[in-house]
Amino acid sequence: MIELQGLTKIYGDKTVVDDISLRVDSGEFGVLIGPSGCGKSTTLRMINRLIPATHGRILLGDDDVTQLPVEQLRRRIGYAIQSIGLFPHWSVAENIAVVPGLLKWPKSRIDERVDELMGLFHLDVGELRDKYPHQLSGGQAQRVGVARALAADPEVLLMDEPFGAVDPLTREVLQDELLRVHQHTRKTIVFVTHDMDEALKLASRIALLNTGRLVQYDRPIELLTRPADDFVRSFIGKADLGLKLLSRRWVHQYQQHATLQGSPAASTQAGYTWEVDATGRPTCLHGGRLHAEDRQQHTEVTQEWSATPDMTMKEALSRMVWFRVMVLPVIDGEGRLIGEVTMHGVMGQQPCA
Amino acid sequence: MRVAALKRPTSRDGLLASLSALLVLLVLFMEELAPLFQALFPELGNPVYRRESFLQLTLDHLLLVLVSSLISVSVGVGAGLFVTRRSGREFEPMVSSLAAIGQTFPPAAVLAIVVPLAGFGFVPTIVALTLYGLLPVVQNTIAGLGTVPPAALEAARGIGMTRGQILRRVELPMAMRVIIAGVRVSVIINIGTATIGSTVGAQSLGTPIIAGLVGNNIAYVIQGAVLVGLLAIVSDLIFERLERRFTFGD
Repeated sequence: MIELQGLTKIYGDKTVVDDISLRVDSGEFGVLIGPSGCGKSTTLRMINRLIPATHGRILLGDDDVTQLPVEQLRRRIGYAIQSIGLFPHWSVAENIAVVPGLLKWPKSRIDERVDELMGLFHLDVGELRDKYPHQLSGGQAQRVGVARALAADPEVLLMDEPFGAVDPLTREVLQDELLRVHQHTRKTIVFVTHDMDEALKLASRIALLNTGRLVQYDRPIELLTRPADDFVRSFIGKADLGLKLLSRRWVHQYQQHATLQGSPAASTQAGYTWEVDATGRPTCLHGGRLHAEDRQQHTEVTQEWSATPDMTMKEALSRMVWFRVMVLPVIDGEGRLIGEVTMHGVMGQQPCA
Repeated sequence: MRVAALKRPTSRDGLLASLSALLVLLVLFMEELAPLFQALFPELGNPVYRRESFLQLTLDHLLLVLVSSLISVSVGVGAGLFVTRRSGREFEPMVSSLAAIGQTFPPAAVLAIVVPLAGFGFVPTIVALTLYGLLPVVQNTIAGLGTVPPAALEAARGIGMTRGQILRRVELPMAMRVIIAGVRVSVIINIGTATIGSTVGAQSLGTPIIAGLVGNNIAYVIQGAVLVGLLAIVSDLIFERLERRFTFGD
């Protein structure tokens, strides 16, 4: 857990970071984002005291970071920057092993850890272990950078635009890998980027900064659906951001209970009801059309306008729009009705994990 | 690229081996060449320098170079390190110009100043050589430390290395190639310059050269000069190998 309390950085008469308070809980993926010069990198670098704070406190777990010896603090915090941060005179294995080495782990444990991390990041141990950074591709170098940051199993991982120097295709692969590693390790991550797509894809919470101030600190969907002010709106205001976000969401996260026609709940709820056949397959939808005159309309269920749990919400939404319905049936592998996903759900509900 | 990388060391190593062998043979068996020098310079009564053995002269010469280079390197690297630390940064212009003055001063002039203070022989020569060899070491130490990428330094700090660890494990290894290049220049200069020590009585390979110049014996001059030249080339090739060991990446 990382907590910033009234964090402020003043250079001369310029306030670069202005009274920022926020908390990234254990296991969360926090992203600091904002335009250049908004103070996001400065904020990150105050956490491991590469830059001393002018005012305010930073808590790492229960410890005030200024109370810890600085090297000891930094060895508890993984730190990853752009790929040039690798040590060019050390092999891949030596680069990854540096923090465990500083912590004086026994050699056998270090070797084991290096192999484990290389495996985690799909780096071929036999091929790459003894290579030097200049022999790596951009994507490989960046994986080594993140692996190095994770090597000593730190409580927290700080990442300063780690994927800024790689091509878009590689960046996407690295993002997917980081998400996978985050799910696997449940590290607390603080990640700096200026790329909103990257933030929306990775973050469980986004802190949007502008001119040193924290403008909004929220879950990605809240940021999109309830922007705090015009700045937030303009910063996220690209036309397809909502759809991009939904491309990272799955139907099972929005799946709701489906009410069957004739069940006791059907009469009390204003929602939609389904008819199913003897095998449980949905055959007909009651309601679910947007226009008032269509409300009582019965719509026959076809393959094209149903959803499966592992479908992306972007695709589900696209089907709703195409067939002009407010709801899709969710069916399992045998085509049986197991729930529904609704336009209301997309707009108003947090996806379940 | 790969072919070149494989070929170059072998041919250079061959050159180093054959020149070293030539140097050793000449040092040990210069006297055997007496008939050759006699044939070349028939008017000379004494075609090979015999007052001291060339082995002795070479060892004396190397001692001068070794001692002065050791002092130059320790003072020079120390000064270079000092002015690249945060506490010494403001001294950088001063140290750079002091080192530059040391080199622009002709060694003969240094000798003229030091001899009245320290007497004749070994000591004034060491002083002159040390001053003369300081600049390349200081310059290259500063330049070498300047080549360390800021991102590597930031990463080193960020992962919790102490200042000493950053210096020993990141900065020095990465600056080493450039620092060695400075030491190489310094040593090569001093191998040549050490000959003038013989004008103030320090024994070196300059001794036969001076004797030859004074006594109008061109064979003595050639014998001393060829050995100094070979010594410089062999040292240069050795340093070249050393530098290659500290080359990372492109």
